[in-house]
Amino acid sequence: MRKYLKILLPVGVICILGAIFYSPYHTWARKHVNLMTATEDHPLNCASCHLYLQKSGVISKLVNAHYYSPFNLAVSNDGRYLYVVAEEGNTLLVVDTKKQKVTHKVEVGNRPHSIILSKDGNTAYVSNQWSDNVSVVDLTSFTVTDTLKTGGGPAGVALSADGKYLYVANSFSSDLSVIDISTGAERKRLNAGNSPAGVQINADGSLVFVTSRRTLSKPFGDTIRCELTIINDNKQRVVERRDVKSAYIMENISFTPSGDLAIMPLVRPKNNVPTIQIERGWMMTNGIGIVEQKPSGRTIQLLLDEPNAYYADPFDIAITPDGKRAFVSNAGVDCITVIDIDAIRKLIAESTNETLKTYANHLGISSRFVLKRIRTGANPKGLALSPDGKKLYVAEHLEDRIAVISTESLETTGTIDLGGSGRITVARHGRRLLNNAGHTFQNQYSCYTCHPDAHEDGLVYNMASKDMGRNITNTQSLRNIGDTPPYKWNGKNQTVYKQDGMRFSTVLTRTEAFSYRDLDALAAYIMTGIPNPPNLQYNPNGELTESQKHGKAIFERTHNFKGYEIPIVNRCVTCHPAPYYTNKKMADVGTLAASDDSILFDTPHLNNIFASPPYLHDGRAASLEEIWTLYGKTEQHGSVNDLTKIQLNELIEYLKALRDPEYEQKSTEILHASFGHK
Amino acid sequence: MVIILAGIALAGLILSKKPGHSEKNTKRDNLPAASDYQNSSDVDLPNSSGVIKEAKAMPVYGHWRNFTTKDGLPSDKAYTVRIDGDRVLVGTHDGLAVYENEKWHTYTTKDGLAHNGVVSVDVSELTGDVWIGTLGGLTRWSSGKFTTFNQFNSGLPNDLVYCVYCDGKDIWVATGGGAGHYDTQTGLWDIFTEQNAPMHEPWTYGVSAGGSKVYIAAWGGGVIEYDNKTKRFRDYTDPDGFMEIDLQPDDGVVHDITTATSYNDSILWVSTYFGMSRYDGKNWKGYFNTDSGLASNFINFLRAEGRVVFVCSDNGLSSTDGTTWVTYKKDDNSENGKAIITTGNEKKEIPLSPSISHNFIIGVDAKDDILWVATSKGVSRGELLK
Repeated sequence: MRKYLKILLPVGVICILGAIFYSPYHTWARKHVNLMTATEDHPLNCASCHLYLQKSGVISKLVNAHYYSPFNLAVSNDGRYLYVVAEEGNTLLVVDTKKQKVTHKVEVGNRPHSIILSKDGNTAYVSNQWSDNVSVVDLTSFTVTDTLKTGGGPAGVALSADGKYLYVANSFSSDLSVIDISTGAERKRLNAGNSPAGVQINADGSLVFVTSRRTLSKPFGDTIRCELTIINDNKQRVVERRDVKSAYIMENISFTPSGDLAIMPLVRPKNNVPTIQIERGWMMTNGIGIVEQKPSGRTIQLLLDEPNAYYADPFDIAITPDGKRAFVSNAGVDCITVIDIDAIRKLIAESTNETLKTYANHLGISSRFVLKRIRTGANPKGLALSPDGKKLYVAEHLEDRIAVISTESLETTGTIDLGGSGRITVARHGRRLLNNAGHTFQNQYSCYTCHPDAHEDGLVYNMASKDMGRNITNTQSLRNIGDTPPYKWNGKNQTVYKQDGMRFSTVLTRTEAFSYRDLDALAAYIMTGIPNPPNLQYNPNGELTESQKHGKAIFERTHNFKGYEIPIVNRCVTCHPAPYYTNKKMADVGTLAASDDSILFDTPHLNNIFASPPYLHDGRAASLEEIWTLYGKTEQHGSVNDLTKIQLNELIEYLKALRDPEYEQKSTEILHASFGHK
Repeated sequence: MVIILAGIALAGLILSKKPGHSEKNTKRDNLPAASDYQNSSDVDLPNSSGVIKEAKAMPVYGHWRNFTTKDGLPSDKAYTVRIDGDRVLVGTHDGLAVYENEKWHTYTTKDGLAHNGVVSVDVSELTGDVWIGTLGGLTRWSSGKFTTFNQFNSGLPNDLVYCVYCDGKDIWVATGGGAGHYDTQTGLWDIFTEQNAPMHEPWTYGVSAGGSKVYIAAWGGGVIEYDNKTKRFRDYTDPDGFMEIDLQPDDGVVHDITTATSYNDSILWVSTYFGMSRYDGKNWKGYFNTDSGLASNFINFLRAEGRVVFVCSDNGLSSTDGTTWVTYKKDDNSENGKAIITTGNEKKEIPLSPSISHNFIIGVDAKDDILWVATSKGVSRGELLK
């Protein structure tokens, strides 16, 4: 008996204590979770916050992992090697296609984006989007031999027909760098649309085509337009700026070998109509733009979607050497769409212009030219064909893997593991969710669609609130939002859990809500930090220019230039204190429109604010200047009416210099290191 | 007493200059009348006189062809002209007119122009983009697309853009609210006014660049030189102040109310409403209608091409290399006019039929053998006489 008592007594004590404390503990835990999530239904799972939301420290290192995230790739002339741009690995991975493994890793710049090989195949040019440069990689020694300065956010790259010049699309500064390869010097920059991304030279080498991701600045309600910039390769001057209507996110472009067509993936948003359209379908459609390569050639848009199934986030395109088939990576639905180009030629030939216009919104037309959808791993991005055109290589961005697809059987014949972390962390799962349209009604769009690169798409949406057509909403960046609650312009969502919870499904995705597991993952990804790119354009090393210093003084001033004290509420720094330049409170800045319900608006964070036009809650200000020149007459949005034009410019230069707090602590040497041209 | 003495001295100086002027005027009266010539634009220059011999070194334009609203210009009030390859860009009161393949096409605010009053045009040699200064902002015209920068949506100092000048990646503007510098690569603006530059007031009329320096024609402030390397200013003002006479010849810019600058062949040319100046980096030289072949002291604009400067005045167009002058004037009551060639005290007139379309000249541009002139009664196109 005594023997049993030794066991029963502690158990009994524990049970009694448990019975005593369970109820109050449960009540406390419920309240705690409710408070932290701003919801009343989230499970009491300690790990949700205390493990997965850690941004630093031992726990963070244990629960998180490093990934390569292959983004784009190129194939050697003999087809033996793949050169894979690893976006998160900051490396160029050399893959032996026969051995099916990584043989070399070449460290390049920060967030490499694209790659182009020299004609002899001995040199690779890798654009480093977050370093504002291009790494020149010797593919015989696998070393970086030079670093070429570019504009802001270099993305797509192409070589001139004679191989003497490198064209680099600068996605942040919205221009195209023309670099003389022999000297490494940037010869000129040509203004190129808004956030240019893809660059390709046409079949006869006479023209360079540059696609844009963001639309040109237009007031809400106007038809959106995205620029396709065409440059004469010899003169290196822009010869045409073609507006592609009702489309954006034109990531890449490819030409048929015969040169008769150029094809580019694109997205067609219906941002001007209430988002109630989501549940009727056709809110976000995904397709291709076909640019006829002849005098007065048209730009024809065709959808890749089907009546009840959408193929979100088309990213890259590759065309077989025989010009018969095109492959488009649909990053939001994890598949490759196979297109019969002859069927497209036939469709175009037999259709009138009016008919083709209707096809731009025709969900059924894809049945005329789509041959197959091939499943891939998570988030397929860059595509590359083997020289013989028999193999298609797919960069499975969030899988750390390359898929190998037979272009004859249209089946996946294998995969090549790049050697990243083998496990999928909670935050990684969240990133996959954010990039996947599977949780949206009929897969119309992913979070990424409106928040490309976890930023914002620059569009203003007519959100379907209870009063239809009201509360026009400027899309906000997801960068840094983990630390800057509340969410939505009206600040009604205090946490990411609430923002992306049940209400999210009823308003935005129109399908089942995220499971709690998925919601935790999404929160983990967003809350642990989506950093801003370094602000190399306006504040590369933390040392403000004289103008920016003057602007900072204006931003922080307590007295106007007449000597009068500025009321605390009207000082810039009151509502926009560092490090995120938001006090996380609601404010009335005199911008309420007749169509707005809320009087107060969430104070947005200002890190990298230069990259987020348009401005104000409804996007009415096309530039930072307009916030005050056109929409700040009452002084409710800061005391600025005593400023001269010079002083206003200085204030704006300072605002443009604001950057992510992360970089304030980084050694300036690291940022400087990537600038040297040897 | 001091004032009286100074007044007497001043009067003496003025009087001592006048006899010379009178002599020149007398000589002009002896020149053959334009009616003595018949369609002389169609004949080569005679070379019998020393004046004409000198003139061989100076381009003389004839075979004038004039364009007005009847020919397709949106307005007869032409403010500026710029040759851009095979086309000609003309800023008018009612839009930008483009002459290409013998046809005029007009672009207005409906096409995206900031304002229909186009007063300045320049073309970037680097990108081919056309920059258009208007009375309502600055417009970039690039491959058919117009983008407007104004004082509300950008850092442009002021919407009255009197002059625009492309200098590599940099765009300079002279506006009613100061001079502005736009870096097309960074997208940042600098504004220069009396608050941060040695200007008399923010009003600026002209700007040009050369030799790594920028020259701003500042109303009442003479010429403001901005060194792109040191980022520092230097001002050149009239030592005589606001006096409408050039008290001490060649002591500096002839007047502080400057209207344009143009730098070429290491020479800076400056126009004012009271004469013209030439600066070689060391010495200033002043030119007036009374002591040179200058058509008028009231100069709206000038542009140097190589060693020759073309000067737009309210009473004709002049050109000079600093020694020889060729001045074009239209007769009051006919389409005809003349080219007056002046070297030192010698003058020769070449009758022109037709002549330039009007004597009030605001813009000019020359390229190869062609000269275009913007006047208040249309634009004129002249060809180099061989």
